[in-house]
Amino acid sequence: MTATGGEDRAIRRAVRRRSRLPTILGVAGLVIVGALVVTAVFAPWLAPYDPTERIARPFLFPSAEHPLGTNDVGHDLLSEIIFGSRVSLMVGLVAATVALLIGTTVGVIAGYYPKRLGSTLMRGVDVILILPFLPLLIVLAAYLGRSLLNTILVIGLLIWAEPARIIRSQVLSLRSREYVLAARSMGAPDRWTIIRHIVPRTALLATGSFVRAVSGAILLEAALSFLGLGDPIQKSWGSTLYWAQTRGAFLTPAWKWWVLPPGILIMLASLGFALIAFSLEERINPRL
Amino acid sequence: MTRRIDLRRVAQYGVVVVVAVTLNFLLPRLMPGNPLALIAGVDVGMLTPDQRAEIVARVGLDAPMWQQYLRYWGDIFTGDFGFSFRSSRPIVDMILERLPWTLLITGLSLLVSAVVGVLLGAISAWRRGTKGDLSMLSGMISIESLPSFWLGMVLVSLFAVQWGLLPSFGAVTPASDLEGWAHVWDIISHAILPVTALSIVGTPGVYMTMRYSMLETLGEDYIRTARAKGAGERRVLFGHVARNTIAPVITVLAIRLGFAFGGTVIIETVFSYPGLGRLVFEAVAGRDYPVMQAAFLVFTAAILVANLAADLLYPLIDPRSRTS
Repeated sequence: MTATGGEDRAIRRAVRRRSRLPTILGVAGLVIVGALVVTAVFAPWLAPYDPTERIARPFLFPSAEHPLGTNDVGHDLLSEIIFGSRVSLMVGLVAATVALLIGTTVGVIAGYYPKRLGSTLMRGVDVILILPFLPLLIVLAAYLGRSLLNTILVIGLLIWAEPARIIRSQVLSLRSREYVLAARSMGAPDRWTIIRHIVPRTALLATGSFVRAVSGAILLEAALSFLGLGDPIQKSWGSTLYWAQTRGAFLTPAWKWWVLPPGILIMLASLGFALIAFSLEERINPRL
Repeated sequence: MTRRIDLRRVAQYGVVVVVAVTLNFLLPRLMPGNPLALIAGVDVGMLTPDQRAEIVARVGLDAPMWQQYLRYWGDIFTGDFGFSFRSSRPIVDMILERLPWTLLITGLSLLVSAVVGVLLGAISAWRRGTKGDLSMLSGMISIESLPSFWLGMVLVSLFAVQWGLLPSFGAVTPASDLEGWAHVWDIISHAILPVTALSIVGTPGVYMTMRYSMLETLGEDYIRTARAKGAGERRVLFGHVARNTIAPVITVLAIRLGFAFGGTVIIETVFSYPGLGRLVFEAVAGRDYPVMQAAFLVFTAAILVANLAADLLYPLIDPRSRTS
């Protein structure tokens, strides 16, 4: 390095700060996600009321008994929001798992057989990435009908293309590494090489795209529920906002306790996973 | 070389159109239950067998699948999307009357997020690793997690209800005969909140693209060469870095335009803004499937046009891609 003393110090300072930020953000993400998981698991003990029971008059203002008031049919809003964490996390995690399974399979096959099979698969992936994402999601959800399973399927089936691309590029570079070439030249069957040498090496990258997919899936679930396409029985944060919108709560003072809390929680949940993903991605491929 | 790539792109867009149209055709026919309800919009249980047969014949559901498929393509090529179940109006008319509003708010918001995102991204990359860069980056990551509909609701609560500064819904004041500048201001004041919400959620994507692609340029040898030969910071930034960064960013922007279009379904619902997105929501809520399908095709077309524009623009902006 031919930098002068001052510049040298500046660079070193920058490098130090650069390497610290992903860790800070990653820990923040873990704390947020941890708190939400605890809320979801212990929801029945944390929530003061049963969120599906009419326990008071509708449209109550916040009070000691009902810290966030009640909704249009007299459900306790705080309890509803506490239980909402379950839907959000479950849809996020399961949809991302579906996406990861499809994405890894397609990515590994396309990367390991890059010639005809691989390029055909990737053409398909490109087509999926060009289709108008949100309208397609809505059209599919509208035809399939409103249930938790359908929400998970629709989201999972639409978000695997990005993970597939990321994993394919990693596999492409892995397959020309010496140990892979060695295994293949010694006559190891493709399936063995893929399972033993390729898939384990994509684990870190796959974890990164899984966490990113959870973050996206949480937002998509909220959007679908907000449009009235979520499961009508399972109240999620998105459907709480759907009712707030339908009943015009955001046009009254009730927006402070009916609209603000669920939205902040959706953002925190998505952000928690996004921060973990960012921290993982920076570790794999530092771009700061 | 360039020619062949173009052809492959065109083929890809062709495939996208075929996939979109085929999805539209197959979805209502493969769903469980009676397709009549999804395709003709009638309550099947209320009909006598004769009436049912008459409708099946009129809609063409008695023909073999491949004939129905060909007929579907024929209808699309002649611009015939059929009629709405709800309003019985031609769908083409409904779409054409909604389109300008959606173009207005997506166009404006894309402009705002492009300018803000490119500027902030450039500043961030130029000051890479400083406190300013890192806090801007963290802020943008947070904005990416904002649910756009919630942002819209909060904006309405604050600016329309709490402070009464701006209208809360629609594109124009209903039943008002405003003319001239008053009419223009009416339209602008209705567009401010939706455009703000769309601009805010649209900025992080542009920012990230700009920041990363500029960081890449900054690491290139010719930047080091420029510095080594004694070019001033300003000259390096505008003469070398900016010129080489802007091309990929413009491509990304053109592609985002297509997707921004689809994102309006949510924002227009919050603001009851009478655009194409709101039309989709109304169609979904009212089980008006043909309208929903036609809108889906329009969204697909928008994305393809945006992609095509990006393909055509690229060689004009970046001369390197012309020769290679």
